[in-house]
Amino acid sequence: MNGLLLTTQQALQLLLSGDAELWSIVLLSFSVSLKAILLTTPLALLVAFALNHVNFPGRRIILAFFNSLLSVPTVVIGLFLYVLLTRQGPFGNLRLLFTQSAIVIGQMILCFPVLVALGYAAIQASDRRVWETARTLGAPTWFSILTVFYEVRFGLLAAVLTGFGRIISEVGISMMVGGNIMGYTRNITTAIALETSKGEFAQGIALGMVLLSLAFLLTAFLSYIQGKKEFTT
Amino acid sequence: MSEPLFVFRGIEKSFAKNKILRKVDLFLYPAKCILLSGKNGSGKTTLLKIVAGLEKPAEAEIEYSGKSLSWKKAIRNILKEIIYLHQQPLLFSGSVESNVAYGLRFTSLNRKQRRESVIKALEWSGLTDLANIQANTLSGGVQQRVAFTRAWILKPKVLLLDEPMSNMDHESREQARLLLCRMKSAGMSIVITSHVPQYFDGLTDVQFHLSNGQLAESKFSASNDSL
Ligand SMILES: Nc1ncnc2c1ncn2[C@@H]1O[C@H](COP(=O)(O)OP(=O)(O)OP(=O)(O)O)[C@@H](O)[C@H]1O
Ligand SMILES: [Mg+2]
Repeated sequence: MNGLLLTTQQALQLLLSGDAELWSIVLLSFSVSLKAILLTTPLALLVAFALNHVNFPGRRIILAFFNSLLSVPTVVIGLFLYVLLTRQGPFGNLRLLFTQSAIVIGQMILCFPVLVALGYAAIQASDRRVWETARTLGAPTWFSILTVFYEVRFGLLAAVLTGFGRIISEVGISMMVGGNIMGYTRNITTAIALETSKGEFAQGIALGMVLLSLAFLLTAFLSYIQGKKEFTT
Repeated sequence: MSEPLFVFRGIEKSFAKNKILRKVDLFLYPAKCILLSGKNGSGKTTLLKIVAGLEKPAEAEIEYSGKSLSWKKAIRNILKEIIYLHQQPLLFSGSVESNVAYGLRFTSLNRKQRRESVIKALEWSGLTDLANIQANTLSGGVQQRVAFTRAWILKPKVLLLDEPMSNMDHESREQARLLLCRMKSAGMSIVITSHVPQYFDGLTDVQFHLSNGQLAESKFSASNDSL
């Protein structure tokens, strides 16, 4: 019991003293996951829009496919990507294994279905007349799409935040294709896993606190957005 | 009699197995107003949306300025020249002014001209005092006026009105009717669906009735001497 108190105290000290190693790990996590979410969002939202507004055969099957991808375990994505990127694999000559890019790609795969499924739900809740009104007033296709996005902006923002929450807290992909290299691919979750296995709890707990605060902030913000959404519709 | 702006021939449309429109022909002449009547569910809205390019017909042939085009080829001109107003208008989130200004950014007007045009339109429709109000918090009748202004400002060649004025009081209705008369004399082609033809006395040139998917000139027309 005393030991736990002590490590918690050490963890707080690490956080508050601005420990360089700790904060560089936090920064790395954010930069990798932000890249992943920013690169994924435009395409995922366009796919969500197309699934809503374009009537093509197989639409429902594709939608069901994305919904089922929501619950794929991250280690399976990690494994899949590892097999592709390993030296002997089909993309081995790209030399991407154990790089930040590999983590970014893995996290993009992870958040893509989240953004499509939640984006689809948000766009579906929008009124068909938004699209029709934009079109009949002479808006070109791309502007009409942006108009629809703007009308459901809170739903889309919620989708993006949920996707971000999912990828910044995943460990399977980062571990398998990142390799937990200090200063390069070690992020919050892999650092926690590593430090703990070494019996070093303080840094792990400190990083855990960062993740928890982030989760708390995201949730608070999401419910704030939810309130906005109800107010505006 | 001048040339028609648009001719739609042989419009066919079904939803699932349900045939809504069978070989409907529609001629849109400049400075003419068509009143379209028909029971609930007879397909009036569907017909207007097809003419506006918002709904894809199973079959249709279109003539535009003397040339015969497929629906696919005509859609560009249709979207540019024809505006459809919903039965229940949808206003975008944002102010009344931003709603009225929405379509102007796709015209060739410059910023200053757009600004002037918006001010004039707001003034004309009595919306100046409401310019900065959130549009979708307004009452149904005022929302209809905003939607009407938002279309009128673009000076389309053809205006399709689905049950307009249903939410307007007597005074706004009179004002809208006079305005439609003025737009018609300026050369605009107008199609109106309504269950209350009397609202449009003095405006309507010809009245059509839609039933069983077919369009027939109505015998009860008030003044159909000119077509
Ligand atoms: N998107 C759709 N999918 C399936 N059926 C539709 C769709 N839109 C319209 N319909 C059907 O087509 C028929 C014609 O509808 P429409 O809205 O054109 O009638 P309307 O004449 O405008 O009726 P109202 O006077 O009530 O406005 C109705 O039976 C309706 O249920
Ligand atoms: Mg209707």
